[in-house]
Amino acid sequence: MRKRHAMRALTGILHREMLRTLRQRGRLLSAIVRPLVWLAIFAAGFRSVLGLSITPPYQTYVLYEVYVVPGLAAMMLLFHAMASSLAMVYDREMGSMRLLLTAPLPRWYLLAARLLASVIVGLPLVYLFLLIARHWDVRPPVLGYLAVFPALVLSGLMLGAFGLLVSSISTQMENFAGVMNFVIFPTFFASTALYPIWRLAEAGPVLAMIAAWNPFSSAVELIRFTLYLNFDPVSALVVLACFVVFFLAAVVGYDPGRGLWSRRGGDG
Amino acid sequence: MKALSLEGLGHSFGERRVLNSVSFSVAEGGMCILLGRNGAGKTTLFSLVTGLYHARSGQIDVFGHSMRTDPAAALAQMGVVFQQQTLDLDLTAAENLRYHASLHGLAAGTSETRLHEELERLEVLDRCDEPVRSLSGGQRRRVEIARALMHRPRILLLDEPTTGLDVPGRRAIEQHVRALCRERGIAVVWATHFLEEVSADDDLVVLHKGRLRWAGGAGRVATDLAVASVADAFDVLTDAV
Amino acid sequence: MQVVIAFLLSLFILSRPATAETIYVSNEQDNTVAVVDGASMSLSTTIDVGRRPRGMALSVDKKRLFVAVGDDNRIDVVDLGNRQVTGQLPSGTDPEFFVVHPDGKRLFVANENDNLVSVVDIESAKVIGTIDVGVEPEGMAVSADGRYVACTSETTSMVHLIDAGTFELVDNLLVDTRPRAAAFSPDGKQLWVSSEIRGTVTVFDTTSRAETGKIQFEVPGIRREGVQAVGMEMARDGATAYVALGPANRVAEVDTKTLAVRRLYLVGQRPWHVVLSDDQKRLVSANGNSGDISFIDLENEEVVKSVPVGRGPWGVVIGP
Repeated sequence: MRKRHAMRALTGILHREMLRTLRQRGRLLSAIVRPLVWLAIFAAGFRSVLGLSITPPYQTYVLYEVYVVPGLAAMMLLFHAMASSLAMVYDREMGSMRLLLTAPLPRWYLLAARLLASVIVGLPLVYLFLLIARHWDVRPPVLGYLAVFPALVLSGLMLGAFGLLVSSISTQMENFAGVMNFVIFPTFFASTALYPIWRLAEAGPVLAMIAAWNPFSSAVELIRFTLYLNFDPVSALVVLACFVVFFLAAVVGYDPGRGLWSRRGGDG
Repeated sequence: MKALSLEGLGHSFGERRVLNSVSFSVAEGGMCILLGRNGAGKTTLFSLVTGLYHARSGQIDVFGHSMRTDPAAALAQMGVVFQQQTLDLDLTAAENLRYHASLHGLAAGTSETRLHEELERLEVLDRCDEPVRSLSGGQRRRVEIARALMHRPRILLLDEPTTGLDVPGRRAIEQHVRALCRERGIAVVWATHFLEEVSADDDLVVLHKGRLRWAGGAGRVATDLAVASVADAFDVLTDAV
Repeated sequence: MQVVIAFLLSLFILSRPATAETIYVSNEQDNTVAVVDGASMSLSTTIDVGRRPRGMALSVDKKRLFVAVGDDNRIDVVDLGNRQVTGQLPSGTDPEFFVVHPDGKRLFVANENDNLVSVVDIESAKVIGTIDVGVEPEGMAVSADGRYVACTSETTSMVHLIDAGTFELVDNLLVDTRPRAAAFSPDGKQLWVSSEIRGTVTVFDTTSRAETGKIQFEVPGIRREGVQAVGMEMARDGATAYVALGPANRVAEVDTKTLAVRRLYLVGQRPWHVVLSDDQKRLVSANGNSGDISFIDLENEEVVKSVPVGRGPWGVVIGP
């Protein structure tokens, strides 16, 4: 693999992702409206007008709007990752995935490039959301917006790698819809994205335990901590480890010798 | 050296055997028609040759590069037009070609020059900045062929490229590809189930139920089987009579 | 990534000014005064004082801290050098709140149970006078020129204006139910009085003694009776006033010209009193129910940190 070739391919994949994203206005719009609706409506229904008790990294009492913003940023990454993985299943059914996979580059590299491109393309919207959230008085330190960048990328990679893995094992679109219902929503709800762990513990110790072990919670907390210029090494390690595991599994899933295609013949 | 050489190729999906010890080769600059009915295993063969997945058994070499041990070198020599349409409908023809060029590591300048050249040769240059969605089926096919030629492959593989097109459209595609083969010396593997796309000078490979039934000059098939025409020969080879 | 974050973090820490100041908080239920380092915003130590410490004030030279210990019916004097109670002053019974007169020599103390204001001479440690006021005197204020002392009486719902020289009642003004704190504007032209039950602040002209304005506090999502106005602090330039809103867990920032509430800060539970730093750039609230104090960065308009200090924080002052 020549370096220049690899870079050109990455640039090309990134460019294509950007063009595709920009031309899907509806998807863009709903991607930004979704977290705002949560912030404006759901957060208002969660009575926290007297302040939530102090949970790190917050050093003082915060309103629920402040608490939920990092979780909603992670939600955006999650939905983006799943939409992107849905696009991969679609691409595969429609065939354009083959084009990518017949490029004269190692397959793991092509998958990684596609994953990275998808994550990068998703980030501007997350930042837009974080900026709009300032309207709700969610004002993390200015440097926090910079510090959260690597956290968003790493979390995006983890969720994207999970999506990639799902796309490598679900052969049909219908399966994918099932995945959306049985994976995304539980992942999102049984996490610290919407409720602090002590609130989940009030609802039930099992739920709190699931949320504590849910890698999505780690992504949420990584984003939350870095946004407020704190660093939570445990979350970072969990997210990193999950990314590596999901990605390697996805590479196996797409492996020409071992993957599902070679066993079932995904090409019909 | 052979442009493409298959040696004892076999594959199965679970218990279902789809290819059984298929061997044939395509000469440099040769035109090879891969003829078979639906379900003959043509598409699986394409998937294996393009490295989408590995064959259970056998060997594939593209200009001497093994598909299994050096797929990148093999794929670099290969231009592919899949049976399924693989263009990005929301992107323009030019954008689709640029994407493909980047995957093959072409510099931006080279990519632009070739993009014009190839689209012009295939007579779709005037539509190059329109979203592919607005192009006709025939035009899309031609854009796909142009795309497959961007990285100057020495062998072009087309899987049922004329399916779904009207007769003039089919004729046009066929003429383009034959011209490429003639003028540029590109080897062609043309998978089809249309008998009229076979010409006497072509190499012919007939696949049926995963087995190779014939490999040799198309002009000889009728004589060798002592029938009146290629069509009759095909019927004989595919147990239709 | 860890390196990047550590780097950014160090930038952030370096960019924060080191503030050499100390915050003293009276813990009503712990019988202590908490000492909080202003730079690190962390608890340094606690000083044991008498029972039920509430009102506090620094001596004019800022070397001593006076602490009203209501259940011991006296005022403890804390030496800020060695952080120990080094003396006591008489105060009359159940002192809750008091002010140090600008002359530095006298304290004016509200005696909650006796309906009196006692005047204490610091040097001789003697009560040198008493003034009869309404029932349950509570809030105390002194004008910058030292001419007037104001005292609110909770049950009578009045503010009493006292001549600081003659110890005579100059005027009694009716205010909203259960007045808590009183504050003079730095130029002495206005007197502000907060009402706990009504959740209002009434503004009087000190010359005409007429009501010139009223501030009504509202916190979206909290019912009217949950918003109470208690402790107040006025900025040195007189442009801004800060009002603790008790069970609404908020501190309001008020524009003194327009009497408009500029913003609300979410602090700990039930802030009683608030105090400004010497550079006027931050405000600290003592939060009675959550047992902590909240630091508000006024330049960035945000609550920075809440620090646990003990049980029942009530009074708060900032010293060097």
